[in-house]
Amino acid sequence: MSDVVVVGAGLAGFHTAAALRRLGHQGGLTVLGAEEHAPYDRPPLSKAFLGGSLTAADLALDDPDAPLDVVWERGVRVVGLQAGAAGAPHRVLLADGTDRRAEHVVVATGADAVRLGDHMPGAHVLRTIEDAERLRAERLAGARVVVVGDGFVALEAASTVVELGAASVVVAGPEERPLERRYGPELAASLLALHARRGVVCRGGARAVAVTSGADGRAAGVMLADGTHLDADVVVVGIGARPATAWLAGSAVVRDATGHVDCDARGATSVPGVWAVGDCARWNDEVRGPMRCAGHWQDALDHAATVAAALVGAPAPAVTEPYCWSEQHGVMVQVAGHLAGGERATVLDGSVDGADLLLRYDRDGEEVAVLGMNRPREVTRWRRSRRPRPVPTPLVAAESGPTRSLEDA
Amino acid sequence: MLRVCAMTDLVPGEGLRIDTVVPPIAVFLTEEGTVHAIDDTCTHQDASLAAGWVEDCRVECPLHASTFSLLTGDVDAQPAKKPVRVHAAEVRDGEVWVRLSTAAPNLPPGVTFA
Repeated sequence: MSDVVVVGAGLAGFHTAAALRRLGHQGGLTVLGAEEHAPYDRPPLSKAFLGGSLTAADLALDDPDAPLDVVWERGVRVVGLQAGAAGAPHRVLLADGTDRRAEHVVVATGADAVRLGDHMPGAHVLRTIEDAERLRAERLAGARVVVVGDGFVALEAASTVVELGAASVVVAGPEERPLERRYGPELAASLLALHARRGVVCRGGARAVAVTSGADGRAAGVMLADGTHLDADVVVVGIGARPATAWLAGSAVVRDATGHVDCDARGATSVPGVWAVGDCARWNDEVRGPMRCAGHWQDALDHAATVAAALVGAPAPAVTEPYCWSEQHGVMVQVAGHLAGGERATVLDGSVDGADLLLRYDRDGEEVAVLGMNRPREVTRWRRSRRPRPVPTPLVAAESGPTRSLEDA
Repeated sequence: MLRVCAMTDLVPGEGLRIDTVVPPIAVFLTEEGTVHAIDDTCTHQDASLAAGWVEDCRVECPLHASTFSLLTGDVDAQPAKKPVRVHAAEVRDGEVWVRLSTAAPNLPPGVTFA
């Protein structure tokens, strides 16, 4: 029975390991994690964990009552991958000069938060437990907070810090209204009004160029491209993440211009026996979208289940519609379906002011997605109504020769 | 036993959240016509199972898709790890009666009901 090394101990890495054991993988299974923590769930970092109602232990993914049969190595820095020649094990190279060898390597190294300038006291990102703990340790009650960015993480952080008693919260994002380009004017207007009601000012069309520092070396605010300075005691930067795949440079694993590992619809990379899952991967998936970058929680679980099935030779799980969610000011926003941009939104129910919209998105006359604000029932029904489609023929693998399965090794 | 709702309040294949008890429970009428009661809150994170998808005597959480047995409360799929409590449910004269479990509920971390 061949061995598997999973590089990365976030959601995608953890669930790949879990799915492998669930599907009966009997061989060695090692998971290398960069962080010192056991695998944990990141979505609460900008919500309940930041708000203080969850502890680090509450975020743990593994079940203490039924822990996974996996060799965990934490605090490990990987520096390279040396592909094994036909049938020989691949070598994952570690910073301490040692290596880990396995017939199958699953790349699950995730992504790193993009910063605005260098580390500076008072300026924060939200990607790890430590990031959230540092922000939580700030005196947020009474603070003037500027949040840079207008995606989910930025808006969730704004929602949480105003709840924690911040004196003022300004969201400085490039879009005129938050999430308008992706989700349309109805949601954008509803979120804008929701944030305004809770005291969060969304300053649209704001291109942040730098976090400024005061005489004490702490962040003093955010400088915008138009010369405006937004004063702040605390700055939160939520402008996205970059795939943490620099360690693959020099390997035969093909990545795109932004560093995502290119994969076929089963997660196979350009190197047989090397797979990629989660935030660091870009799957060529005809259902969820060709060469679609992952980045959501659900993608990590779906990738993990698909790759684990491919590794043990089990039938591929049905491909479901993409799904993501966000919680802001107690309103649960759920999106299901594939949005490529340019879809037309129709209000099926609810209102902009009620923050209870149910939206349907159409592209070329076809319904492609729904969005609900506090509409779990409707969104769930839509997700279940979409028939799972068969996994298309592998593309990358077909061009680069047969992929390895555990039976071949 | 406690009367929680009328059969006419229930829709086949759907759940009904009952928040007059603490913690809230969810009552389900399956497509097959059976009635079940379990804790309403998913054991993973704060989500109402009454809004979930009911199939084959299981309910799928509307937030992260863990599924729970309506018969035993056992969780079938991650991310939830702990079962929900099952409450004995009976239908008498068109009314749904429930005997609340005396076990400790597995509420998700950070969730309390005052």
